[in-house]
Amino acid sequence: MTEFNYKTCTGCSLICEDILFPDAVSGSFSHAKNLCRKGQAHYKALFSERAEPLVEGSEVSLDQAIEKAAEILRKARAPVIYGWSNCTLEAQEAGLALAAKIGAFVDDPSSYCEGQLMERILSGKIPSCTLDDVRNFADTTIFWGSDPSSTQPRHLSRFSYFPRGEKRQKSYEEERTCIVVDVRESPTAKLCPNTTYRVMPGEDLQFLEAVLAVLEGKIPRFGDKKKMIELGSIIKKTEYGVIFPGPAMLDSLRDQMDRFEELVRRLNEVTTFKVVPMTGQYNSRGFSQLLFDRTGRVKGVRFAASGEAAAEAPSLVEAVKGADGILVLGSDPLLDLPIGLARAFAAAPIIAIDPRLSLTADVARVVIPSAISGLETGGTALRTDGVKVTFEPSIKSDHLADEQILTRIMEEI
Amino acid sequence: MAVDVKVVTYRDIFQYGAEKMGLHSEEYLKLSASIILDKQDMARLGVAEGGKVTVENELNRIVVNATASADKPHPGLAFMIKSPWSNQLEGDESCLPGVAGVRGIRAKVSPSTEGITQMDEILQRLRA
Repeated sequence: MTEFNYKTCTGCSLICEDILFPDAVSGSFSHAKNLCRKGQAHYKALFSERAEPLVEGSEVSLDQAIEKAAEILRKARAPVIYGWSNCTLEAQEAGLALAAKIGAFVDDPSSYCEGQLMERILSGKIPSCTLDDVRNFADTTIFWGSDPSSTQPRHLSRFSYFPRGEKRQKSYEEERTCIVVDVRESPTAKLCPNTTYRVMPGEDLQFLEAVLAVLEGKIPRFGDKKKMIELGSIIKKTEYGVIFPGPAMLDSLRDQMDRFEELVRRLNEVTTFKVVPMTGQYNSRGFSQLLFDRTGRVKGVRFAASGEAAAEAPSLVEAVKGADGILVLGSDPLLDLPIGLARAFAAAPIIAIDPRLSLTADVARVVIPSAISGLETGGTALRTDGVKVTFEPSIKSDHLADEQILTRIMEEI
Repeated sequence: MAVDVKVVTYRDIFQYGAEKMGLHSEEYLKLSASIILDKQDMARLGVAEGGKVTVENELNRIVVNATASADKPHPGLAFMIKSPWSNQLEGDESCLPGVAGVRGIRAKVSPSTEGITQMDEILQRLRA
């Protein structure tokens, strides 16, 4: 009997556990099975642009880099630890222990993206489900401001559109309806041109109110009225619907998430409707859950000298602008953030724990190279739907794991 | 001649691959230093496919290649793959939770004869 040695890909928040490398003995990933284009790039990154230990731009030993990092954080009066999303739960635990020890402000990219949605899901205000439930039961999936074909490439094939599930044996041919709400014709929207709803920037609330109107049997005041009424009919016929909100929708509805909560409540009076987040990095959900379990919040927490979370915390912008030492791990904020905030990061003494060269590592006072989380180190993480995944490293590496580096920094402090 | 646009950013799987091969790679530059404009806006600017345009607002200015949109007409709306180039034009308010949604970056687009904004220049701006 053939034994398959499945590997896990941490290229996105689906954390696919069915990756096979027939040529792994020769060190080649070129004939990998089940690896998507994004996963392929993630694995290829193992062999390009790896970081070296640096202090002030000069090559040093790993020990010297760790000592310098500890020195900066020991002296810092307003330290910040930022990133986390590309780290295992074990590394996130170690990082939070360090944050509590030094009284740091902690935050991750979800702070300004899916944070408000995640808080509502984790606190039970918005009903959610697993992606396995989506595969087995969902007959209507709504990608609102999200584009899984680009961000979670196997989302549609493993869970939300193409697979045959327990109650969905006729799948996309007959039983599943895919709806896209977006400002542009995204690759996902091309799958379902007749059920794509075009919403211009800032019009998401109007779209939401129009959906509520058609559910009440009223004439919608937004968009193509006939098409909106058809959407109402699809929703009313739905047995198990799922909304996947993406950054475009969350950005647009940032101060109106109560209305989204109301929409989901109303949908559940009509039929069953769940909401599953589309987190960006592979363990973004893990950090949100960990921080929520620890502090009751999913974003922007300041730890007091006592190690407890302070009642009040500044915004990420305020915290970074006042920081005198920033530890960045599992993220590249200079690549992702707007110019003003990215400059504020660059102006502070940064310690970058990073497996690869990055813009943040480029301006960092200290660079500590790490193993690529999930590929060169094992551990656990939460998939975008909250399912816990345990994995072994795909290949052996001499690099230290994030949690080992964090533990050594803590010992030095 | 200039056209006022709202720039919406999005994620692209090909740019992700280019990023993993190197932030200073030609492929990453090509995919990031690029803006998709409505065909009508391209015509108004007199810019041909792949022509250079300046995209600027009160925060910054960048020079990128322009591509005509294959989508339905959307004059005044432009698209860029999220990258350090688009970040040059984005304000910090997009990182403040709970404030009104600011979907889209307001900018002015005009034809350019300057060179494409390079990654090294972006790094200098970040360090400034």
